[in-house]
Amino acid sequence: MSTPGATLSPTTDPAATGAAAIEVRGVAKRYGTRDAVIALDGVDLTVRQGEFVCLVGPSGCGKSTLLRMMAGLHRPSEGEVLVHHDGTGRTPTAMVFQDYGIFPWKSVRANVRFGLDVAGVPRAEATRTVDSWLTRLGLADFADAYPATLSGGMRQRVSIARALAVEPEVLLLDEPFAALDAQLRTVLQEELLALWQADRRTVVFVTHSLEEAILLGDRVVVMSARPGRILADLPVPLPRPRSAETRGEPAFAALEQQLWSLLRDEVSRTFDGGSPA
Amino acid sequence: MSATLTVRPTAAEIDPVRTARRRRRLERALAVLTPLLVLVAWEIAARTGAIPVRFFPAPTMIVSTAGDMIRSGVLLDDLGATLRRVVVGFVAGSAAGAAAGLALGLSGLARAAFDPFLSALYSVPKLALLPLLLLIFGLGETPLVLLVALSVFFPTWITCMAGVTAIPEGYREAARAFGASRWDMFRHVLWPAFLPQLFVALRLSVGVAILVIVGAEFVQGSSGVGFRIWHSWSLFQARPMYVGICVIALLGLLCTTLVTALGRRLLPWAQPANRR
Repeated sequence: MSTPGATLSPTTDPAATGAAAIEVRGVAKRYGTRDAVIALDGVDLTVRQGEFVCLVGPSGCGKSTLLRMMAGLHRPSEGEVLVHHDGTGRTPTAMVFQDYGIFPWKSVRANVRFGLDVAGVPRAEATRTVDSWLTRLGLADFADAYPATLSGGMRQRVSIARALAVEPEVLLLDEPFAALDAQLRTVLQEELLALWQADRRTVVFVTHSLEEAILLGDRVVVMSARPGRILADLPVPLPRPRSAETRGEPAFAALEQQLWSLLRDEVSRTFDGGSPA
Repeated sequence: MSATLTVRPTAAEIDPVRTARRRRRLERALAVLTPLLVLVAWEIAARTGAIPVRFFPAPTMIVSTAGDMIRSGVLLDDLGATLRRVVVGFVAGSAAGAAAGLALGLSGLARAAFDPFLSALYSVPKLALLPLLLLIFGLGETPLVLLVALSVFFPTWITCMAGVTAIPEGYREAARAFGASRWDMFRHVLWPAFLPQLFVALRLSVGVAILVIVGAEFVQGSSGVGFRIWHSWSLFQARPMYVGICVIALLGLLCTTLVTALGRRLLPWAQPANRR
């Protein structure tokens, strides 16, 4: 492709189940002008409607960059990312960040309302929607608190509520639980599972935890160390609904083992600081 | 020979509330007692002749001089004149500084165009501009107010600009992810993120304003607290000087407290009490 800065073009498509929600075609991303760092190279990926896809890979493999392209925050240097949306949600995509996601100057209520204000949702309707999401995430008692007074887990609940309040057709999550301790992480994973199992929205979830990816995802997409390429794209053969107990199933451990054997070389490659062949 | 280390609660662990209360009371008492003790020592030293009263009048003498100056109306006139210059200059200078800081912080092009120029001017001591202002505007209020405004403008501008450029990219990214327009971005992210920095700037520059006006009144004018201090020197009177110095100190304290209180009121989310 001769012209860089290819389009991120949202198109309106028939909403048949199983139809593609996101298509990533031949995407590459280079940073810098001279001695450019190649973050992503030749990435092709299709996410179907209602599918929960987890992206895993070593640090710096470009998985967050890829996610940001789906959100329209970054543009590829080559190739294109298509986000198909049919207008059923208030916005095509919404995103949950690891940190800096929620605004410290807004109360919990105002944070959750942010996306609705930006989308121009009428006042009364926005208030109703916000109240219902505050309740669903157990935030009602903290509605008027400022984020600085909340624990890390509560802050990520606010971030999730803010993203879900706009009823996005695709929900994008960038290592949302990475900064939380192990117990809290488990609790929030279960909450996310329950929320997702209730409405089956399309989700792309970036994580560096294999266990998290298997527990939550329909598919786990493994990326290589820089330059990020897709190494494997494996379905998770575990039935829904899942819960914390799912971790005990033999298939869980088997898949984790399989994914880890794929990743081990990649991780040690970045660890050695050796340049990829 | 053997020994056992015993770790048991003391009074502090048994009744933490009472311990904390006692500690707070002690700290408050110390805050009042220390200056009081200094004043008493000063008073005794002055009255016993240990220090010359001509240069170091006793606190009670200063208070009685202040009483005389209030009754004759001199002190209030001086205070009024100084306050007017400070307030007008401070408001104008900080508004312009905040606007410039915001504009340069938000626009890389504006920064490229004006930053070197303003940085060069920043290092000029503003008091050095007073003769020039007097030459241009003549004697009167204008050069004094303008000097305060100029002195306030620069620190406000620099602090505000630094504040805007330091807003973490993550906040902007989060807003963009929800499709925020430029106006949304300003209203929901940049402006609220900028406000705490503005109050830091205001707290700094209100002190600068008072510092500069006293200096300027030394040199020019026939009213104001600075003028009174300087004038008392030429009359070899120490007592009104001390009154003037105390009034300036109180004015500084009052203005800083006001700005801080206003910030606390307007930005509840940025207060240390609301942080974990």
